[in-house]
Amino acid sequence: MNLPIAILTIRWMFRDTLRQALASGVFWLMLCVSLVCTLFCFSAGIQGDPVSLERTGELTEFLPRHGSSGSDLDKAARSGVDVVRGELTLGFGAVRMPLGRDAEAAVHLLQLLLAGGVADALGVLLALVWTAGFLPTFLEPSAATVLLSKPVPRWSILAGKYGGVLAFVGFQAIVFVGGTWLALGLRTGVWTPAYLLCVPLLILHFAIFFSCSVFLAVCTRSTVACVFGSVLFWLLCWGLNYGHHAALATPQLQSVAPAFQGMVDVVYWILPKPADLSMVLFDALQADNSFSRLFDYQTLQSLGAFSPELSVLSSLVFTLVMLAASARQLATTEY
Amino acid sequence: MSSTVAVEFDDVSKSYPAGWPGRRLAALTNVSFAIESGEVFALLGPNRAGKTTLVKILLSLCQPGAGRVARLGQPITDRTTLARVGYMHENQAFPRYWNAAQLLEFYGALSLMPAREIHNRSNQLLRFVGLADRGEEPIARFSKGMIQRLALAQALINDPELLVLDEPTEGLDLIGRRLLFEVIQEQRRRGRTVLLVSHVLGEVEQHCDRAAVLLNGRLVHVGPLNTLTQDAKTGTARSLEQALLDLYERLAA
Repeated sequence: MNLPIAILTIRWMFRDTLRQALASGVFWLMLCVSLVCTLFCFSAGIQGDPVSLERTGELTEFLPRHGSSGSDLDKAARSGVDVVRGELTLGFGAVRMPLGRDAEAAVHLLQLLLAGGVADALGVLLALVWTAGFLPTFLEPSAATVLLSKPVPRWSILAGKYGGVLAFVGFQAIVFVGGTWLALGLRTGVWTPAYLLCVPLLILHFAIFFSCSVFLAVCTRSTVACVFGSVLFWLLCWGLNYGHHAALATPQLQSVAPAFQGMVDVVYWILPKPADLSMVLFDALQADNSFSRLFDYQTLQSLGAFSPELSVLSSLVFTLVMLAASARQLATTEY
Repeated sequence: MSSTVAVEFDDVSKSYPAGWPGRRLAALTNVSFAIESGEVFALLGPNRAGKTTLVKILLSLCQPGAGRVARLGQPITDRTTLARVGYMHENQAFPRYWNAAQLLEFYGALSLMPAREIHNRSNQLLRFVGLADRGEEPIARFSKGMIQRLALAQALINDPELLVLDEPTEGLDLIGRRLLFEVIQEQRRRGRTVLLVSHVLGEVEQHCDRAAVLLNGRLVHVGPLNTLTQDAKTGTARSLEQALLDLYERLAA
């Protein structure tokens, strides 16, 4: 293997992919989604006189404004209880919601909805769909034969394309997360650095499932197969990941045949784990104060059924295996 | 293998899966011939004769099922020799998001050319193929003829020692064809090797020194063109078209 040639190829294919992304509508479409979300965040604000509840690790005693009469609030305030008075406004004041707790909690909730709902679920799915055509178009025999007759290793062509797509999606993730974080920070004065951890986690999530799309592309050269294949695979992995944990966390399901349980375990460890990745994101964003977890993860951890590190590591191993299989497939494909 | 041999096929066979498990369709059967350096060599034969398969094997786009193939003195497993090969084919599709100048830079870099040479060579070739004023324009706006001219420039970007042209005149207008023949003459003058696959027999007669004829994946003739065009019985000259028709008829009988 000639490393300098491989590096040169990866560099050029990386450039080629970024140019492809820039020229396609996908770049602008994703940017528009990010812009809409950033504008939404920029339209948010905190009004009134919100208190900042001390965060000592315990839930602070406080009294929400809504549902309490004015005299109750005054009494509570006099007796040392924090009284929440502010409002969260959206759409530049068009929608007003009384704060449930303090301003930080309200902004945190918005960030969780953006990270968990928009970016982690919808964003990854749309990114998979929108980038699914990048490789099949490029692998069409009429386009690929000249490229594949160049003195460069085929695996490096694939590596460059994969890296280019990841960089493109990474850029979009930075714009989305950075834009919404900045807009919320500027408008509300609440800056949550943990929210920025979404960027690497979203890229990781996408990278794992895009490897499946790459494999389908080199095997079929069909955009339709890549779109449906990768989305179905993503849904399947979600189902299996969720099912595995549900089976362990639900006492009624403990009596399921051990052989079946063993099979589910094997499949769980082989396939990527999108639900686990979402839990890692959930933890990184300290979402416990706002949402309840799907499962009692402490119980799962005590059963040895969930370890964030092993979960991510095994998903990465799956990614590497898929990429190696794709490279081998491309290297042996006859044009 | 001799250093004056640019291409050598030695007992090459190739088959493809024929749809039914275990069944295979022979594309090439025991093909052996060599192309000397500096020759303009034609590969002839009817459709599905195996010409493109042979070209693809030569360019490492597919592997031979059996036999040995050498390219510029090295076995085809040595991909580094591809840096000295140029290739143009009939249905060329380029990424539509590049412009002509960027495309040549891209293929020049992947042909392992030094960066400083690519720019000069690219400008020179765009002028030659008549696309100098369209160099900054996206390829998406190019016509089929312009794409083929760009494909010719792409094939020449690395100043190849071996130029492989698979149906190169497809889609080319009169001026484009003339450019192509200028290229072939220039390659010959400089002692470079050209392998031309074409159904346009007038072009072949005009430019090629020797030819190989394939029929149903088998080599049925190899040698100077005049050995093909001269009637063995009467000794009279005939057109290449007539010669090939006679050959196919004789073999079918």
